[in-house]
Amino acid sequence: MARFVVRRLLLLVPILLGVSVLLFVWVRALPGTPAQAILGERATPAAIERFNRQYGLTRPIHVQYWAYMKTTMRGDLGTSVASRRPVTTEIKERFPATVELAFAAMAFALLVGLPLGFFAAKRYGQAFDHSSLFLSLIGISIPVFFLAIILKYVFSVKLGWLPSIGRQDVLIDAEHPTGFYVLDGIITRNWAAAWDAVQHLILPAIALGSIPLAIIARVTRASTLDVQSEDYVRTARAKGLAPRIVDRRHVLRNALLPVTTIIGLQVGILLGGAVLTETVFAIPGMGSWLKEAIFNHDYPVLQGGILFLAFVFVMVNLLVDIAYGFINPRIRVS
Amino acid sequence: MSLAEVEGVRIEHEHLPSGLWRETGRRLLRNPGAIVGFVFVLLFVLIAIFAPLIAPYSPTEQNLSLLADGCCPGPSWAHPMGVDELGRDELSRVMYGARYSLVIGVVSVTVGLSIGLLLGAIAGGFGGFADSIVMRAMDIMLAIPGLLLAIGIVSLLGPGLVPVMIAVGVATVPIFSRLLRGAILGQRDTDYVLAAQSIGVRRRSILTGHILPNSISPVIVAGTLAMATAIIDVAGLGFLGLGPQDPSTPEWGTMLTNANSYLSTAPFLALFPGLAVVMVVLGFNLIGDGLREALDPKLRGRL
Repeated sequence: MARFVVRRLLLLVPILLGVSVLLFVWVRALPGTPAQAILGERATPAAIERFNRQYGLTRPIHVQYWAYMKTTMRGDLGTSVASRRPVTTEIKERFPATVELAFAAMAFALLVGLPLGFFAAKRYGQAFDHSSLFLSLIGISIPVFFLAIILKYVFSVKLGWLPSIGRQDVLIDAEHPTGFYVLDGIITRNWAAAWDAVQHLILPAIALGSIPLAIIARVTRASTLDVQSEDYVRTARAKGLAPRIVDRRHVLRNALLPVTTIIGLQVGILLGGAVLTETVFAIPGMGSWLKEAIFNHDYPVLQGGILFLAFVFVMVNLLVDIAYGFINPRIRVS
Repeated sequence: MSLAEVEGVRIEHEHLPSGLWRETGRRLLRNPGAIVGFVFVLLFVLIAIFAPLIAPYSPTEQNLSLLADGCCPGPSWAHPMGVDELGRDELSRVMYGARYSLVIGVVSVTVGLSIGLLLGAIAGGFGGFADSIVMRAMDIMLAIPGLLLAIGIVSLLGPGLVPVMIAVGVATVPIFSRLLRGAILGQRDTDYVLAAQSIGVRRRSILTGHILPNSISPVIVAGTLAMATAIIDVAGLGFLGLGPQDPSTPEWGTMLTNANSYLSTAPFLALFPGLAVVMVVLGFNLIGDGLREALDPKLRGRL
């Protein structure tokens, strides 16, 4: 098992290096220079020259890359040209919002998707099965931002049940030691703040969770159908084990294996979809931050932000793989 | 339908003496989902082609006198889908929007498919060093979440319709190349390849004449499903303001961005372009699922 983990970790090194080179080259190929974006179109050549010198943009490109790698390895992702603040500081402020949203979306997808897929397989070919299939088909066919707009219109604008923008009501006085607003409310025993943060999360989480939900339901259904016809399930039934125990111990346990592997892949969809969801609900997370950075030509933010998200994405997939190795002994041996 | 019956149907099919594609077509036509998918897609293809003939107004014609009572007049007989914030007929805009979405979908999937297939064929066909290089490059691309990759490419090329098509296409390259490589590797050790090798067929001919035709069916399925995702992603980029920069362009994603600002007074402006996206995407998903089942009947009712 240790060898498996080490090998997987080593495989990550060239991938992350590749991503860093890709981002480095990409940022330099972008139209418009940061000097122009920051100093404005009427900046004098002398001012642009001074700016480029200050940010080291006049050095040869391989020297720039080497300097970039050295600082990155130290955990320094540079300074945002728009806000003049360190990129890491901004990530610290922005990332919790996105994690909270992605986590809530995944929780929603699992809580609804797993039972939906499992019971659809149990009722194979019946009305419930057909409606669950239809629902998951709609789930992957509806754009995240369109669903977000519909939910916002129905539940905020029309019914007024849930808030439509932001992470917390501005009138609420709350401390934020961790940046995860729900958690902050619980830690500081400010229940009103925690509940308010939860309410702000519901609609975005449903919108963002729709695709993973559909995929999880489909995979759970397919794998439950496969496992159900296995010999060991027939044996368990034949020896008179209660159906509920057969379902829990033999069917569900094995049916969940393929589901764990796809959860890691869904994280990529969640991070991409977060850009759209955060835009609709005006959530100050990584997504809306990167979107602003594109329009501001904020190179360090784009470079650091995407590198950071790619790192998170591959790490999550690594963790999922390792977890899978623990759950499924067959992987460890091979 | 019980499992035994499913197996029975499959065995019966295998005895029919006809080609793979005729057989696939026959199975596809017996799948109600796939037929619904075809109807949806065909409907929008026809709307796209005949938009100038059937649209009641021009998609860019502004009739500001309609906005005399504020924004925006809802559905009426004259304007079945209402009027947008600039006094343009929403129905006509949704109809013309079909042209953009379908063309964008086809072009971006073609971009992704051609690059992806080329790389996949190189990796799977030649193996060794070429394989490692291509696959590591694909791993690097896959490490960046798809939509972020597309956003990155668009910001490189500048916003607009063509950059969006290229970006969405390039973001699908790893999917196609990995798929084709896997399929080729699966075919490489089969008996018919061995037979071709032993009678001295050249490597290139084996690849193009034997392995590729047999590896292509999962790619066709993925291509159809990629059409669905491409249309969603293109609308998403349009929604982020990275799509066509001319605000009069009736692209569905861009229309949804504007509608988001008028949501409380004119929700129908979001509803119709959104529903159009859902219908087209649903159509392609249904066809894709149908194709997958038709090409591999063991999967019937399982996906």
